[in-house]
Amino acid sequence: MKIIKFIISLSVFISFSASALLEVNIIKSSEAAFPIVIAPFEIVGNSNNVDIANIIRDNLNRSGQFNALSTEALITNQIDFSFWQKHKKDAVVFGKIEQVSNKVYNVYIYIYDVFSEKSLYQKKIRVHNSGFRRIAHFLSDKIYYVLLGQKGSFDTRLSYVTVSENSNSGRTYKLQISDSDGYNPQTVVRSSNPILSPAWSKDQKKLAYVSFKNNRSEVFVMTPFLKTIPIKLPKFDGIASSPAWHPNGESIALTISNKGNKDIYLYNLKSKKLERLTKNISIDTEASFSPDGGKIAFTSNRTGQVQVYIKDLKSGKISRATFEGRYNAKPVFSPDGKDLALIHRVGKDYRLALLDIASRDLTVMTQNKSDESPYFSPNGGMIIYSTNRDNKGILSIISLHNNQTVELMQKEGEVREPSWSNYSN
Amino acid sequence: MSKKILLLSSVIFLSSCATTNISELGDKFLDLINPSDDATEVATLSGEETLIAMDEAGGFTIDELEELSNDELIAIASEKGLEDLILLDEDGNLLNRDQIINAIVESAALLESKSEELESMSDDELIEVAVAKGLSEEIVLDADGNLANRNELVEALIDNAAATEAALSEFGNNADSFTLYFGYDDTEIDEVATRIIIQHANFMQENPSVNLRLEGHADERGTREYNLALGENRALSVKEVLGLYNLDDRIIVVSYGEEQPILTGSTEEAWEKNRRVEFSYY
Repeated sequence: MKIIKFIISLSVFISFSASALLEVNIIKSSEAAFPIVIAPFEIVGNSNNVDIANIIRDNLNRSGQFNALSTEALITNQIDFSFWQKHKKDAVVFGKIEQVSNKVYNVYIYIYDVFSEKSLYQKKIRVHNSGFRRIAHFLSDKIYYVLLGQKGSFDTRLSYVTVSENSNSGRTYKLQISDSDGYNPQTVVRSSNPILSPAWSKDQKKLAYVSFKNNRSEVFVMTPFLKTIPIKLPKFDGIASSPAWHPNGESIALTISNKGNKDIYLYNLKSKKLERLTKNISIDTEASFSPDGGKIAFTSNRTGQVQVYIKDLKSGKISRATFEGRYNAKPVFSPDGKDLALIHRVGKDYRLALLDIASRDLTVMTQNKSDESPYFSPNGGMIIYSTNRDNKGILSIISLHNNQTVELMQKEGEVREPSWSNYSN
Repeated sequence: MSKKILLLSSVIFLSSCATTNISELGDKFLDLINPSDDATEVATLSGEETLIAMDEAGGFTIDELEELSNDELIAIASEKGLEDLILLDEDGNLLNRDQIINAIVESAALLESKSEELESMSDDELIEVAVAKGLSEEIVLDADGNLANRNELVEALIDNAAATEAALSEFGNNADSFTLYFGYDDTEIDEVATRIIIQHANFMQENPSVNLRLEGHADERGTREYNLALGENRALSVKEVLGLYNLDDRIIVVSYGEEQPILTGSTEEAWEKNRRVEFSYY
């Protein structure tokens, strides 16, 4: 019998930083995670040095849903199912990278169920050298779907703001986008003035954000992949901020102050029409659309306390959503529309919490002091938010499956204001 | 060689003094200013004839200031609203000569950049600024409606800026504070704040050409977007009090939320310092 040793690579603390600007740490071991094995891919011809299997393993482990281990030896067509059964692995994944020409490769992937000993999925994909990381994310989504019956959130993008101190005591703010694992960071806006609240349009082609480049907060929409000049959204005599895309991709809800009154408006990028969604002398801000576009959740201090409200845009009815605690803010709808992630004050701390809208059950998700800006992964399985570690702003991703937390940070400076894109088309 | 610095406040000084003859001392300084300019005036100070004033085209470099006597420096500093900086010993001798020279150069540099800014504006922009500064009467238009007295208008605006600078400098020394502080998630103006706001209101009424920018800030607690709104409300509640003095039109309100803390760190002390409204005049 051929003996295959497998390497236990998921320790309590994994750190890697190779080509990513963001360093990634996984804290807490993943209990109740799906145990699988992903063998190194066999290489035929010249390698391009992108370790697809490793990217996939990291992706799946970050989700909290999997405990994906590597193997010392390659797995080819002969799979020793009894060995994997004995080691309580539920699935085996392996593959092959075959060079076709200078920059073109065929990538093969196979997924087997260890207990039924049956093939669950196999595919051959032709990839250009530049698309290897993208294919690894695509295959991670495939494995996630094949084994869990749910969509993954890997072939997606993050946006966030980095802040670094300059030598001359000024700050540099960068609006960046990256792959969902923090790799391939690209700066799309750079400023010496603050940048806030980036948000992806559903088609992933546009980013709305708040910039202080004109020495006051204004909302802009830019297209990161086309070098066009950002469009400035309407404002009156005060702040304009807090953009939130309508799921139709045509309109943006934003907070505009008019003669001191801060309300939420809906601006249609095509018709240029501005519609007022809330009308109250108190602060109304931080809108988020329900996935069907029929409702907005928002923050308001209309009762004297900062609480979260939901407006049904059809009936016009506004109802209070949060009743626990004296401070609940920055709500964001889950992709299924049933929950809100929000920031909830506990004593002196501001923590990420999950609200079941129907039952009003509120679950505090962290023990942190200053969580901000939650955003769901497009499959709803994770929430990304910003928080502080040792007085430094970092991003944190929590798995709603088992609360496993992954931290993304910069070596120098802070990272904040995350948002997660939808799936690529 | 060395850069000429416009001594703009001297223009105001001149207007308040009777013109005297150019003395020998004056001749000496004439060499230092633009030789093509013939308008040079000399002022009398404390009984002695001392040249401290020059026309608009003239300027002092640090080197030139270094050559002045202590009395001359004191006279210039006083005219520029810097008298509070002057330190004298028991015999009345200047103790902080270098500091005074630097302060004079800095205040002149500020006005120089103002003058550069004005020079670079279009006629329409200049007219707009003049109207905003209450100098509509200084604007002369030709038959086609174009600005006829650009140079004079720029001069008037520079004079105005110099006057504003001097008034501000004096107010800066007298006002209790240019920053108001607030409670957690609060926009309330308390008694102390009201007293400070009234000082500012009086100052603005006495100086019709100054405009005020109120900048609202929040501490780091709570969400960024809510804090942006809260910072604006803080600045607005200050504006509301100033509005009782009919100053609304001269005030702009901006909010930076929690983005520009005075003190970083998550301590009560930092939070207290960061929940604020800053007054800045322009």
